[in-house]
Amino acid sequence: MSDYTIIGKRMPRVDSRAKVMGKAKFTADLKLPGMLVGKIKRSPYAHAKILNINTSKAMALPGVKAVVTGKDTEGIKWGVFAYTRDQEFIQTQKVRYIGDEVAGVAAVDEETAIKALDLIEVTYEELPAVFDPMAAMASQTELIHEDFPDNINIHVNIDTGHVDENFKKAHYIREDTFVASEESYFQAEPYAIAARFDHEDCLEVWMPNGGPHMKAKPLSNAFKIPLHKVKVRKIAIGGAFGGRSEICPVDYICALLAKKTKQPVKIEFTREENTIATRQGHSMITTHKTGVDKDGRVLARETTCYMDGGAYSSTGPIATSVPFLSMEQAYRMGSVRYNGYRIYTNKPIRGMIRTHGRGFACGLDTQLDMIAENLGIDPVEIRLKNSRQSGEYTSTKSYVDSCAMDETILKAVEKSGFKEKWGKLPPFHGIGIGTNSVQTGFPMGIRGGSQSFIKFNEDGEATVMSGVVDNGQGNDNMLVQIAAEELGLLPEDIHLVSADTETTSSDPGSYSQVSTFVGGQAVKNAAANCREKLFKVASKILKVAPETLAAANRMIFVKNDPEKSIPIRKVVRISLLNFTSVNAEGGYWPRVDMKREWVSNPYGQMCEAFSFGTTIVEVKVDPDTGQVEVMEVTAAQDVGYALNPLVLEGQFEGSIAMGGQGGMLTEYHEWKDGRCINTTMLDYKLPLACDMPPKINNIIVESIDPKGPYGAKEAGMSIAMSAAQGYSSAVSNAIGVYMDSFPLTPDKILAAIKEKKQ
Amino acid sequence: MRLPKFNYLGPKTLDEALDLLDTYKDDAKILAGGTDLLVRMKKGLLKPKVLISLKALNELSYIKKQSGFIKIGARTPLADIIDSDLIQKEAKALFQACKKIGAISIQHFRGTIGGNILQDNRCHHYNQSDFHRSGRQACHKDGGKICYAREEADRCNSTCQSDGATALMALGADITLVSKSNERTIDLADFYTTDGIMPHACESNELLKEIIIPVFGAHSSYQRLAYRSAIDYPIVCAGVLLKPSLKNEIAEARIVVGAMGRSPLFLAQISSSLKGKKLNDTIAFKKAADASMDSSATFAVHNVGATLEYRCSMVSQMVFQALEQTAETIKA
Amino acid sequence: MEKIQITLNINDKSCEVMVYENDTLLEVLRDKLDLTGSKESCGEGACGSCTVHMDGKPVRSCLTLAMEAQGVKITTVEGLANGDELSDLQQSFIDHGAVQCGFCTPGMLMSADALLKENPRPDDKTIRKALAGNICRCTGYTKIVEAVAHAGNPKDHCLDCKSAK
Repeated sequence: MSDYTIIGKRMPRVDSRAKVMGKAKFTADLKLPGMLVGKIKRSPYAHAKILNINTSKAMALPGVKAVVTGKDTEGIKWGVFAYTRDQEFIQTQKVRYIGDEVAGVAAVDEETAIKALDLIEVTYEELPAVFDPMAAMASQTELIHEDFPDNINIHVNIDTGHVDENFKKAHYIREDTFVASEESYFQAEPYAIAARFDHEDCLEVWMPNGGPHMKAKPLSNAFKIPLHKVKVRKIAIGGAFGGRSEICPVDYICALLAKKTKQPVKIEFTREENTIATRQGHSMITTHKTGVDKDGRVLARETTCYMDGGAYSSTGPIATSVPFLSMEQAYRMGSVRYNGYRIYTNKPIRGMIRTHGRGFACGLDTQLDMIAENLGIDPVEIRLKNSRQSGEYTSTKSYVDSCAMDETILKAVEKSGFKEKWGKLPPFHGIGIGTNSVQTGFPMGIRGGSQSFIKFNEDGEATVMSGVVDNGQGNDNMLVQIAAEELGLLPEDIHLVSADTETTSSDPGSYSQVSTFVGGQAVKNAAANCREKLFKVASKILKVAPETLAAANRMIFVKNDPEKSIPIRKVVRISLLNFTSVNAEGGYWPRVDMKREWVSNPYGQMCEAFSFGTTIVEVKVDPDTGQVEVMEVTAAQDVGYALNPLVLEGQFEGSIAMGGQGGMLTEYHEWKDGRCINTTMLDYKLPLACDMPPKINNIIVESIDPKGPYGAKEAGMSIAMSAAQGYSSAVSNAIGVYMDSFPLTPDKILAAIKEKKQ
Repeated sequence: MRLPKFNYLGPKTLDEALDLLDTYKDDAKILAGGTDLLVRMKKGLLKPKVLISLKALNELSYIKKQSGFIKIGARTPLADIIDSDLIQKEAKALFQACKKIGAISIQHFRGTIGGNILQDNRCHHYNQSDFHRSGRQACHKDGGKICYAREEADRCNSTCQSDGATALMALGADITLVSKSNERTIDLADFYTTDGIMPHACESNELLKEIIIPVFGAHSSYQRLAYRSAIDYPIVCAGVLLKPSLKNEIAEARIVVGAMGRSPLFLAQISSSLKGKKLNDTIAFKKAADASMDSSATFAVHNVGATLEYRCSMVSQMVFQALEQTAETIKA
Repeated sequence: MEKIQITLNINDKSCEVMVYENDTLLEVLRDKLDLTGSKESCGEGACGSCTVHMDGKPVRSCLTLAMEAQGVKITTVEGLANGDELSDLQQSFIDHGAVQCGFCTPGMLMSADALLKENPRPDDKTIRKALAGNICRCTGYTKIVEAVAHAGNPKDHCLDCKSAK
């Protein structure tokens, strides 16, 4: 349907050659002259006052170059929002979780650094700790943060009005509570950072990140140096999944050590540190009360969710809102009241994760299945009755433009044979459906837009500059594809300079699902501006109007007379000889409601586009062991437009692995007094190649978003979310029990089967 | 993750190795494949002064059949055991167990059978980093007086999660231990002490040399459960051996339950209750399986992942499946 | 503790290197020989990112002492290509979109390469088993399995094999 040359094609990624050769450099691979090894001293207590820190023995150890503690931080606190600045970069007064940063060292090698950590003497006075959000709210002991009564960190309240009266009109009402434990990112690359102050006193840093500009600003604030003096560099990144968005103490500590020693310092996290001292997913207790009419249309819903936020705010306001937003985008609700509470506990800090809110979303879909059963309609029908439609507003007043939710449902249903299978499968064999929606971005104020610069080199090739970062999902390739398409060049003619705060303009970062929509669009606009300049020059040479020209395969040609053409290289050289610039810039700022705020004003246009996804899962449960065998997964997503189906399919499949197979069957954390028991890849059960379903059907649905680049919008996330729902629904269907505790581990499944028998 | 410091010794012969072991005793650890030992060292659970490598001792790597016994050198890689027709045919439980260790593609070329049965007991409160274990009292196995897996426990409740040990014990294997001055062959069942801290009855100057499996017309099976299809220790497992009589009745039975206690549990009474039963006596199998569950449940604590209740209930499943599968093999 | 000089045969080159006895092969490759293609993701033999070949067999270099790596032929991901010319397997990983963040890729390639040398036409199940020791968090494995199955063995029905031709 398209006449694009490069866009929409299954293009292998530009970054993969370096990666298959082992040449791609990740942060831990960096070696700088004189580089020291940094290590972090962490609190072994969940909640304790720091009485004293003595670093003299550590300092005296030969090979130790610097030791830093809270005294060196000038009491600076970090928080994503002005009202959530609750985390010191190095704790001075007290520690709030096992893993909290209390000191940092830099030494000539790892062994010396580790030895130095042991020599730092910290005297603590232990305080009573709380590990459960409900207990934390009721706790009479010392608050985790004194300014937050009842340990409530964030309260998001959304109320559309008419909830109570609509419940009165309902034909059927039910209220159910669902719980889910915490999960972790387990990015393949453990977190690492390298930092140095260069000859101009600029701070240069390398680290996996979800947005280099999001890292640069807080570092500039913390060190009180101008933003242009903080250079976050591009480096290959081994996954983020939402866990590497904001600055974290180790970023600051590493830079501080570099400043103190005047030498480069690198800190590499162990796998355990990556698990406990970056971010985790929130555990949640969610109660949905839903009232429907006799056809199954939701008239009123009241949802209350308690999230275990851990020791600090992190992205708390966002995290407390997103599960609700996904729900309100996916489903129409006559009226709704939401109360989301993020509670402080003495556990590791929780942030956003690829399948944020599995307890919330799976609970919602499970309840829909229950309601459908009560009304005697099937799960597909009740979803179609309530599914979001194009041209509507969400409950919090976001206009939904492109939307092919129904198409994702119908296509997935057809491909999976849902109608033929549902209710007709043999015992312990089940099929389930999940639907969800994810926002393409959210209001980010000054950092909401992206700009790109493109310069032509005299050989006719182009350098594209963009602040977009690639965490592994393929953003670099996306930018190259767009630039090549727009400029009429081949992908190999594009040199990409990205994710470097010195050379690129601000960008929202990849963690809000807008890399393509905003960052890609900025490149598209810059390239279009470039092309316009080229066409102006070419039109004089070819003696035609610029509007009649097109560019592809390194040539500019007349659309109706392709023989009439000129190589782009030649046009570039002629313009240089004629003192004409063919370089250009372009930007994109999504039209969102800047007055919308997570807590104080959660209404207004959230973002310009939403993705919609449906996942259908077919499983067999072993009634003797409770183990689940997943036979087939069908995933359909409205992605707007598929810029690169090859990359998209990879996003779908990865989402199924993380959201469904791992997220719903095996992944959860175990605790003992605030200590995380399963921090390693041996103990935390990530799915393996042989655990995955043998058959995955990817269905790409295109709704051509009017604002997205080529019609594209978020891709992959609504599969991660709906996969979780599909898995839970399928297991419930197989065993004939609606499950309310996630993930669905064999012990829970077996217990449910046994209980049902009795 | 950095290994603590040690001296590496690479003896060229068994005698040389035994000499070194006799010299260093408790200060030394034997390095075979390293897949268990080096991880423990990285976590700071173990800080030997020297590592004595078996790398050059090819004399300890063999699988052979000799006068009614299968003999396996202790340093034989798991990959060789899986590839052996002899093991597949005559010691199926061991074959099945070895296939489940680690990941077939990787651990098996370095992991050895000796290393597997000598792997230390595990507990998810103990097999943790130095950092994890700081800021709390040391547990029994870590030199302290407390157990995090079972409150008020006066001793260590670590779990033996060796697949190989459970299978070999079901097969009725013996092992030969050698030292500079002595060589002794003992029943594998006697090698496991039921002491969570020191689970193996091995003197500090002794080295595991050989595993001896009797071949006497019996059939066997090994079943295990884990949350993942590879790179996972069993949360419960069972090894079973049945010897049929001429009348197709059970002449001898051995049921061993693993990953449920401080050592693999050979359930002698339950095993002998199957004597004289028909090979298709599913009810007897079920009864034995349930009895196995009851006996092993008392030993287990919640310390290897899945919930205790679940693991206990799965004992019955694993034993039953192993019995059924063994009977099937005999019938075939 | 003294450093010891050892000789390692890596990617068909003999390398003399000074090591400590507690150095792992992975540390020596990455820190001393600048062969940073092999990655450390878990450090305890669970994830497979550090997989290299010793005499053609895949092993975890994070659990192999450098001292124990003497006298064998070691191949790392840097040794898979012939100069700039990629192996069929490497090319297949690119063509089939089997690489996302790329951190597990080197280990994955080493496991797959060893499999293909033993069995050039493995079926889906065999591939999944052979890769069971390598954890990937991005791809869900589908494209990796495809890339291995189609390496040097292009399939007519596969869009990505076709476009690679």
